[in-house]
Amino acid sequence: MNYSRWTPFLFLAPALAGLAVFRFAPIVVAGAGSFSGMTLTGALEFAGLENYRWLLTDPAFWDSLRITLIFNLIINPLQLALAFLLAMLIFQPGRGIWVYRTLLVLPMAVSTGLSAVLFKLVLDPNLGPLNGILEWAGIGAQPFYRAAEQAMGTLIGIATWKGAGYWMLFLLAGLHAIPASVQEAAMIDGATPWQRFRLVTLPLMRRPMAFVLVADTAINFLFFAPVYILTGGGPNGATSVLMFEAYRSAFTFSDIGRALAISSFLLAILAVIIVLEFRLMRSPEDRR
Amino acid sequence: MTIQRRQFLAGASGAVLMGTTGLARAQTASLSVPWMGWPDEQVAPLMDAFEEASGIGIEYERLPITELFNTLEVRLSARNGLPDAYLVDGPLTASYAARGHLMALDGLMEGELGRYVPSTLVQGSYDDTLYALPLGTSSQVLFYNKAHFAEAGLAEPSADPADRMTWEALLELATALTGKAGEFGFAFENTNPYQLLPLPQSWGAEVIGPDGLTATGYVDSQGFIDAMTWYQELFTRHKVAPAGTFEGGIMQEMFGSGQVSMMVGGTWNLEGLKRFADLDFGVVPHPYFASGKPVTATGSWHLGINPRSANLEAAKAFATWLSTPQAMDLFFSLRQYPPALEQIWEERAGTTFVDPAWEIVQYELANTATPRPITPGYREYEEFLRGAMRDIQGGADVAESLARAAASIDREMRKYR
Repeated sequence: MNYSRWTPFLFLAPALAGLAVFRFAPIVVAGAGSFSGMTLTGALEFAGLENYRWLLTDPAFWDSLRITLIFNLIINPLQLALAFLLAMLIFQPGRGIWVYRTLLVLPMAVSTGLSAVLFKLVLDPNLGPLNGILEWAGIGAQPFYRAAEQAMGTLIGIATWKGAGYWMLFLLAGLHAIPASVQEAAMIDGATPWQRFRLVTLPLMRRPMAFVLVADTAINFLFFAPVYILTGGGPNGATSVLMFEAYRSAFTFSDIGRALAISSFLLAILAVIIVLEFRLMRSPEDRR
Repeated sequence: MTIQRRQFLAGASGAVLMGTTGLARAQTASLSVPWMGWPDEQVAPLMDAFEEASGIGIEYERLPITELFNTLEVRLSARNGLPDAYLVDGPLTASYAARGHLMALDGLMEGELGRYVPSTLVQGSYDDTLYALPLGTSSQVLFYNKAHFAEAGLAEPSADPADRMTWEALLELATALTGKAGEFGFAFENTNPYQLLPLPQSWGAEVIGPDGLTATGYVDSQGFIDAMTWYQELFTRHKVAPAGTFEGGIMQEMFGSGQVSMMVGGTWNLEGLKRFADLDFGVVPHPYFASGKPVTATGSWHLGINPRSANLEAAKAFATWLSTPQAMDLFFSLRQYPPALEQIWEERAGTTFVDPAWEIVQYELANTATPRPITPGYREYEEFLRGAMRDIQGGADVAESLARAAASIDREMRKYR
């Protein structure tokens, strides 16, 4: 067997190349591009810190940052909690459990864009069937994504409808990985179901939960398609998350410098938040 | 081993085959042309006629209006050969031309410009050069359902521009009609600056600064706020109009099917409403505010050529063909935009244009038609203002929405200063 210390790297090379081309290169391009501007005729020119200076003095940017943070402060814990709850509910084998499992995972099969289009029809304030049902039930029609007060909630609802089942799968795998012997030992020691959940299940679920929280955060900071399809950042800027601001700058207003500055800023915040999340989710053993 | 070689050969021959079809395509140029999302029966006959006349293939994509603008923006900013030619909304000529996305057409149309209605050439020009070939202009009129008026016991409004209805009178009619014969008394066909700018303009407000690059102080001026507050109350206070109907074509459907009794809309409805066999409608001039002056929307579609197109000759042939009376008469018969060629006006003077609706249109084009702001930043202006108009319709605070739009427009205008 011809083995050298480089052999592992040989096998890793394709994955590393993919990572370099599809992950690191765009980050470098965005970072460098955020210090440049584009003339009207499409020529790139060095702009120094101008894009960032503009951004930091632009109230629309601060509004958008606030909206992005609020969105994530709500949606990430919500999706994690719901995913965990769903995983616990369908963890215990029972008759017909596969029906529930299928139902919960089904939204995954619908693409994000398509689910936004579906909900646009279902929630249409004038013609949508949901308002028909609400009126029939005496609750009254709701404006949903057309009103500033409800738009963010509507988007969170749609994203969670699609996301909860997906993240549940990872937590379900985590639950199955907890050795039955540990639970049995706790039972023999006389632990109540609540004690077993709090002192055995929860601590052993730290790692899958950390993964779900971090991955979910990364996805939700880049939340875009439903905003584009349903609200266009409105009403009155209520759903103008940073990704949408960046998109509009790049593709509607041909201001590529501002778009890349927003993207770079977003990446920096995301990195900080993910580091914080990892620290938060670290188990006591890892801390030593 | 043999299997591998066979697979390789299959792959290689496939690649060769793809290569040759690529060549064949390049020889018989096929134009890529994004188009408006009108019903296909209003688009296909025009494209078929061009293919037949020229032998040049054309691949057109029908896109809903906002998608059209977004798609064009993304494709043009790639600065490659696609699309070959595209539909240009009149006020966007300056925006595309300033950024090098339009080929100058002066050479191509040399000696031909005298055949056009002058205002359409103004819309298609930037820096005294024609960049976008006019296909038509536009005008807005008030459509009303005659049966609904009879049912509610109301006298029909006058078609004489001298006797033009005020918005105040329209509101009274709309209130009387709402819930009687139709569900809603009145609606604007669309929710965008093209359709709604005549409200603040009729109120007496200026809608953009004299430099064409300043929105603050204009879009958020008191006159603009008052006019848009009046607009908002149609939906929130008087409830005579259906809110949140932003999809193209919905309002024609609602008026045609009798859900809405009056509609301000474009001349294309004269053709489009024919499919509602039971509908008996009348046409009267666009209303105005009693305290202000009559103002109507105008401006329309043009054809632009991408200067980077790999099929420039074919694209020019398309433009040249679209300047012929035959092509423009066909375009008119499909969509009924007021023609850009003087010849169509003359040829149809004794037939189509004796219709009272077209007499109103000719009066408006000569007297009240007011083009949208002329600015290289019209794209930005329209995008933010359309958002604000939709929010206002949905009940958002009018002054706040307009102030936000004005600030955003000014921010994006900086690149043109």
